[in-house]
Amino acid sequence: MKYFYTVLYLTVLVFIVIGCDSEQSTDILSYNSPIDSTGALSGGDTTIFDASSHAFSIPAPNLSAAALEKHLEGDVEFEAVFVTAPAVVNPGLGPIYNNITCINCHARDGRGRPPGVDEKFVSMLFRLSLPNTENEEAGKSPIPVPGYGTQLNNRAIYGTPAEGTVKIEYSEQPLTTADGTRVHLRYPDYTVTDTYQPLPEDIEVSPRVAPVVFGLGLLEAIPEKTILTYADEADVNGDGISGKPNYVWDVVQKRYALGRFGWKANQPTLLQQVASAYHDDMGVTTSLFPFENSTGQSQLKENRTALEVSDEILDVVTFYVQTLSVPARRNVDDPQVKHGEQLFAQAQCASCHIPTLRTGVLPGVPSVSNQTIHPYTDLLLHDMGPGLADNRPDFHASGSEWRTPPLWGIGLVRTVNGHTNFLHDGRARNLMEAILWHGGEAEKSRQAVLEMSKTERDALIAFLESL
Amino acid sequence: MKFYKEVTTKNIWTLFCCLLLTFTFIIGCGDDGDDEPDPTDEAYDAATMLNDFANTVVLATYSDLDSKAGDLLAAVKALEVDTTQANLEKAQQAWIATRTPWEQSEAFLFGPVDTQGLDPALDSWPVDHVNLQSVLDSGDDLTVDYVAGLEDTQKGFHTIEFLLFREGDQRKADDITERELQYLVSTIMNLKDSTSQLRLAWAPEGENFSNTVASAGEERNAVYPSQSAGVQEMVNGMITIADEVANGKISDPYNEEDTTLVESQFSFNSITDFQENIRGIQNVYMGKFKSDGQGLNEFVSSKNTELDSRFQSEVQKAIDTIGAIPDPFRDSITGNRPAVQAAIDAVSKVQLTLEQDILLLVQGSEFN
Repeated sequence: MKYFYTVLYLTVLVFIVIGCDSEQSTDILSYNSPIDSTGALSGGDTTIFDASSHAFSIPAPNLSAAALEKHLEGDVEFEAVFVTAPAVVNPGLGPIYNNITCINCHARDGRGRPPGVDEKFVSMLFRLSLPNTENEEAGKSPIPVPGYGTQLNNRAIYGTPAEGTVKIEYSEQPLTTADGTRVHLRYPDYTVTDTYQPLPEDIEVSPRVAPVVFGLGLLEAIPEKTILTYADEADVNGDGISGKPNYVWDVVQKRYALGRFGWKANQPTLLQQVASAYHDDMGVTTSLFPFENSTGQSQLKENRTALEVSDEILDVVTFYVQTLSVPARRNVDDPQVKHGEQLFAQAQCASCHIPTLRTGVLPGVPSVSNQTIHPYTDLLLHDMGPGLADNRPDFHASGSEWRTPPLWGIGLVRTVNGHTNFLHDGRARNLMEAILWHGGEAEKSRQAVLEMSKTERDALIAFLESL
Repeated sequence: MKFYKEVTTKNIWTLFCCLLLTFTFIIGCGDDGDDEPDPTDEAYDAATMLNDFANTVVLATYSDLDSKAGDLLAAVKALEVDTTQANLEKAQQAWIATRTPWEQSEAFLFGPVDTQGLDPALDSWPVDHVNLQSVLDSGDDLTVDYVAGLEDTQKGFHTIEFLLFREGDQRKADDITERELQYLVSTIMNLKDSTSQLRLAWAPEGENFSNTVASAGEERNAVYPSQSAGVQEMVNGMITIADEVANGKISDPYNEEDTTLVESQFSFNSITDFQENIRGIQNVYMGKFKSDGQGLNEFVSSKNTELDSRFQSEVQKAIDTIGAIPDPFRDSITGNRPAVQAAIDAVSKVQLTLEQDILLLVQGSEFN
């Protein structure tokens, strides 16, 4: 709320100062400028001015007192650590799971990464499925693997076998840009190991790191018809870029709905996203997913009848991720950054990473409604080529299609999470590697970046780091 | 993160101040004859403050934590060899001594403690009692590697606390089993590994995160490209713990009248824990741990001496007011509610001043 007044104050001040002597204003305003002519207010009125490691964790400044209260309740639950039942505090973990609390994967509401050498898996997991050979029609939900379901749970409560783990091996391959600069990309190889029972050989395995959780209410508030205006599945306009909506099963509405969240846009709402994370990642049941994730497997000793997380908690956690603020851009007036922004558009990056969208009304969440935002996404699926393919279809998403991830806040990941691992499995070790992994529909853009001079590539990165 | 809880009247006050300041600008802007530069408009060089924060406060606190963890390990090894009541009490005291720098360090929970997963490894709550008992009942070899592979809810401060104290200081040395002793030694070795890792992550001979903070704003510092970001980090860390103490650690058990929600409930060390958290704020603000450096207080007083002295006294008052809650805290949440409420109010005041005055001052200031 304080920030609201900060912005209000600065807004008033700007008008006054501009009115009398614009030179006087420069040192005060710096990047705190509330005038959004440069697109600094990434999250509209939910934007926060913070470049510290707290940048992803601050409640939207335009929440009402009651909404802030609800947000803070959700914050507590987002950090709740689950333990083996029976217990006085937070029972219901597992029996098989990937982590014990939301915040461990989404550290500081930020981005996960693959484990380093000798590290355990913390913020990365693997989806599993059997090939869908019965129906050539797209739009089928992934087929669970008997004894495993659709996710490899690599941890378990005491005395219960975990499903297995994954060995990651990287191999380096060089790439040379037009000006002769050598870049190395690391190619991951994933092998499921230490399985508790035999695993079919033809399973599909898809690695996923935890995505950031701020700004999600704004994305949920973008009208479906706005998203569909960017869809061009058959590439009618011939720009080589399709843009395909995913339609996925909505367990509340009991119908197919536009997918918006997840690396393959396989979740239609934040409520369902949150409930599925409780269920799939922690083995915690809710009214949306009332049966344990180990149902039908030997790990399940007793089917607890009571839901492990109430609708009330589910509601406040959903609200929490809907109402985190989006950090403002920094250095928007820097000439190098401005140059990079032009290059971003010239290389057609902005064809999918749409800079500016307008939200509609998200019922019950006025703070994210009717906002002009700069998420740099179209929320649509695009074929990223064989290099990035996980070869695991998910509803309408093919094995090589991914949802355009939002880029807002990407320049602060290093500060917040202490790493610069990007893409769905964190294979890219910096932003340039992430760009150079783009293939398929983005192949022309990748070529454009390879053709750039070092000065231009540096400018492009400076622009991304300003987001 | 749960801060920025507002009090409406305070916001109106803030708004009023903003408008007042704006009015001052309006008056100031036509006044070309005034050549005297306002000292508050000059860019502030925060390099010394950031350096002293990183080294004199953070690294020194982590070094002390690591050293105290070593003492705790030695004490528990002595207890394993000779399981007497006197040795148990020494181990309990060593736990409390280790807790002190840890709680103070909660005023700066960012950087490696977070990105390397050390906060959950050291300080997860609640304890997974079912799993812990299963492990103790099993025939598993309780090596340090084995314990390292267990969940964070079966190791770290609170699991150690549970094994050493059980309920208050009623634990009898005779009741401690062989398995519990083995588990204690291994889990404290694991804790010591974490504290060493944390110290090295900040130390010049290790990953030197101290330098990352100290060099905020220097060229090629990608983590803190500006001094302003570094100073924001300092203030946000203090806000986070003030909020945690006021609205979480004290308020949650107080509002629910539920002793199961009390931090450090096995050792009855809660009140000391809360005080150490606020002392952590004091350390950051004054730039001190065992030695003195340049703190945020110098920056604040250069802009607003009244604010500086007010905040210093608010912090001390919060420490004193928490200390006035009768021990143990778990009984006071029902038996001495006015004393607990006074502590909540005192810490909330610290939080409000940080959010509404000091952070605003930092955000409105130019740094080198």
